[in-house]
Amino acid sequence: MQRRGFLFAGAGALSCARDKRPRLNVYNWSAYIDPAMLARFEAERGIRIRYGTYESNEEMLAKIASGNSGWDVVFPTHSRLAPMAAHGLIAPLDHRRLPGLQNLDVRFQRPVWDPTIQWGVPYMWNATGIAYNKAEVPQPHGWEALWSPALRGRMTMLDDPEDVIGACLEKLHFPFSSGDEAQLTAAAAEAIRQKPLLRGYINAEVRDQLTAGDVLACQLWSTTAAQAIRANRNLGFAFPEEGYPLYCDCAVVLRESTRYELAHEFLDFLLRPDVALANSRVADTATAVKVDDSHDVVLYPPGSIYRTGVWVAALPVQAQKIRDILWTRIKAV
Amino acid sequence: MRSRWLAVYSGALLAFLHAPLLVLIVFSFNASRFTVWEGFSLRWYGAAVNDPQLSESLVNSLIIAGVSSVLATLIGTLAAYAIWRRAAPVFSGSLYLSLITPEIVSGVSLLALFQWFFRFAHLKLGMYTVVIAHVAFSLAYVAIVISARLKSYDRSLEEAALDLGATEWRAFRKVTLPFLAPAVAAAFLLALVVSFDDYVITSLVAGVDSETLPMVIYAMARRGVSPVVNAVSSLILIAFGGIILISQRLQRQ
Amino acid sequence: MNLRRWFLLPARVWMALSFAAPLAFVCGYAFLTRGDFGGVDRPWTLESFARLADPIYLGILWRSVWIAAAATASCVLLGFPLALFIARAGKRRNLYLQLVLLPFWTSFLVRTYAWLFILRETGLVNTILMGLHVIHSPIQLLYNDGAVLLGLVYNFLPFFVLPLYATLEKMDPLLLEAAADLGAKPRRVLWRVIVPLSAPGIAAGSVLVFIPCLGAYLTPDLLGGGKSIMLGNLIQNQFTTSRDWPFGSAASIVLMLTGALLLSALLRSRAARELL
Repeated sequence: MQRRGFLFAGAGALSCARDKRPRLNVYNWSAYIDPAMLARFEAERGIRIRYGTYESNEEMLAKIASGNSGWDVVFPTHSRLAPMAAHGLIAPLDHRRLPGLQNLDVRFQRPVWDPTIQWGVPYMWNATGIAYNKAEVPQPHGWEALWSPALRGRMTMLDDPEDVIGACLEKLHFPFSSGDEAQLTAAAAEAIRQKPLLRGYINAEVRDQLTAGDVLACQLWSTTAAQAIRANRNLGFAFPEEGYPLYCDCAVVLRESTRYELAHEFLDFLLRPDVALANSRVADTATAVKVDDSHDVVLYPPGSIYRTGVWVAALPVQAQKIRDILWTRIKAV
Repeated sequence: MRSRWLAVYSGALLAFLHAPLLVLIVFSFNASRFTVWEGFSLRWYGAAVNDPQLSESLVNSLIIAGVSSVLATLIGTLAAYAIWRRAAPVFSGSLYLSLITPEIVSGVSLLALFQWFFRFAHLKLGMYTVVIAHVAFSLAYVAIVISARLKSYDRSLEEAALDLGATEWRAFRKVTLPFLAPAVAAAFLLALVVSFDDYVITSLVAGVDSETLPMVIYAMARRGVSPVVNAVSSLILIAFGGIILISQRLQRQ
Repeated sequence: MNLRRWFLLPARVWMALSFAAPLAFVCGYAFLTRGDFGGVDRPWTLESFARLADPIYLGILWRSVWIAAAATASCVLLGFPLALFIARAGKRRNLYLQLVLLPFWTSFLVRTYAWLFILRETGLVNTILMGLHVIHSPIQLLYNDGAVLLGLVYNFLPFFVLPLYATLEKMDPLLLEAAADLGAKPRRVLWRVIVPLSAPGIAAGSVLVFIPCLGAYLTPDLLGGGKSIMLGNLIQNQFTTSRDWPFGSAASIVLMLTGALLLSALLRSRAARELL
């Protein structure tokens, strides 16, 4: 009985594979696109999109590093573009096939990490800041708010060395991506001082506890905070005044792709304002395309606040090693 | 009297095992996206049923779990029997070692091996690479469960069959295998569950066309559509619960 | 002996290709230098192992062993009566067996999220306790070692119950009756007859719980709040956020050696030899 079930299921899977339409394989962060937009592109072009998702840059890189993963388009974070290009993993973009580039918001026309948009089309971006419960906590001004003894056991930090140590560095008025050993060590000392006050180092899982009121203040991504705020109007999001990190995920065409033109068409499709807006609404994340959603001050920090943010740069290997050892120390004490 | 206490205790422990399921079934009917009760709604079931990614990955998961657990049970049972006949220390050692290997390490190293091999063969990651990986980590579970039962097997039973003129194969099939049956069933179930639930290794060795249910669920849960996940899980539980009840009924008849 | 060789062949081939060969990769990685974004590069070096000499990693190792041992002991105590009950349940055996496994058809992540909800301050346990006026303000149940232990026991209990059931199942009820008829008290029957007969099952189940717990990482992350790490987290971090494959490989070699040593010590101990 069971075996017959498997046979049927197998037959079903085979019939899917027999679809003769040309196919584009897109590998993206989870919940980062509106499925209706994928269907629209498929219908417009008469092709099929195979859409897969990943949870971290590292997972994606491990897959595509060999150059025969089968994926055509992936979405690395901006700081990964340079090393990926250096390893010959991504194909340079052909601007003639991307007329939609002019739809990009002015902030992304000449991004600092890829000024000529040679490697990746900016897709969505977000910041790390402080989400807090407005009823119980005064508006935070700087990272210092997450060291408040009054909130012992009700605060969390992200479970990520870059974000946690970066926030400690900024609290000490050092640069977020500092690679200086003395500065990193001072930052780790701050983190160790903070640890007894913390509930834990928690990523997206904190969202539910923030909306329910278990957590009163936490280090969080603006996109997750936006979701929480929609569920509980008592919540707010603050961009620390010392500075805060910004991340942008970019659409790239892999060098291994045999569908270079179709991949470009897809990238150009993503640049259409209505498509970008739909994707951004589903993902609760700011799009790099110029859209009229700027009233949302959590996702789109206004000019003066935007300017205090920094586009995170990758650390040199040696500095990264120091940071990792410090991170283990923070976790192990 | 004692056996009643045992039954009460077992009932309590089973309730402990099932408590989280009750929570997730309740929340699958919650109108809110979050774990704050807002009212009854079936919207997440609608979303779950209409999601092609979910149904496709469910089919993939069932195929992979089915094929890999059958293979692992078959290979593992034979191996456990062979070890029982005469020890194979290196092989047994490698079984235990495979159990110790952290998932991420098996996943990354298998991926590296596949990618190295694909440089010579024009193949790509796919469902079969997932099956290979799943059989690899299920083998140890199967072999250990079967070996535990073989420890209490009386060698003379099989010898008697051989003395009566049965071939080695016939003695195994007619005498040993029936004795092993409960352990084989237990091992098969473990392998099935372990394969159906695996995420770390699967996500690393899966190809473009082999997204499994846990991969989709992880993607949904970590990014904020978790009520759909609750609905899917509830549907699966109800389906499997139903299968269990029906098979129980059939057995009794 | 011919049959035996054929029986072992498929497992040997499978293990060689999908376990031993990748393991060789891991051993190689451990002596290489980290690549720019994951992966490995030349030159060959012993640096990763040198780093492991830091006492901080010894502390992490000790913690992992301790927690895995506590989880195993809890599974033995909790699971033994359940396995006994199932083995004696007659025709209902299969039903109970399936009930034990039913929760595990949901994703690990989903089950753990449910526990998060049950244990948090505004969650089920605290709400009920406060409703009954047992406590006046919520107690923090989450993000401590107790929560990690609970999560591990919950997720690994079937791995203990199933092998034990498989050995208990064949226990002859006549044997127990005979013991009772000869005047043995129930407790004596339990310790003198049932436990020795089920020793292989207890051993197999303990191994299946202890070893994976030693390398657990998601439970400590989600229920322990990432505030203290086990070896599994350390290794996981090296392959993800830290992108240091050589160090992760070296750490996992240490983990595997530790597990292997503990296991062989256990199997060679006098008590085990008497029981098995």
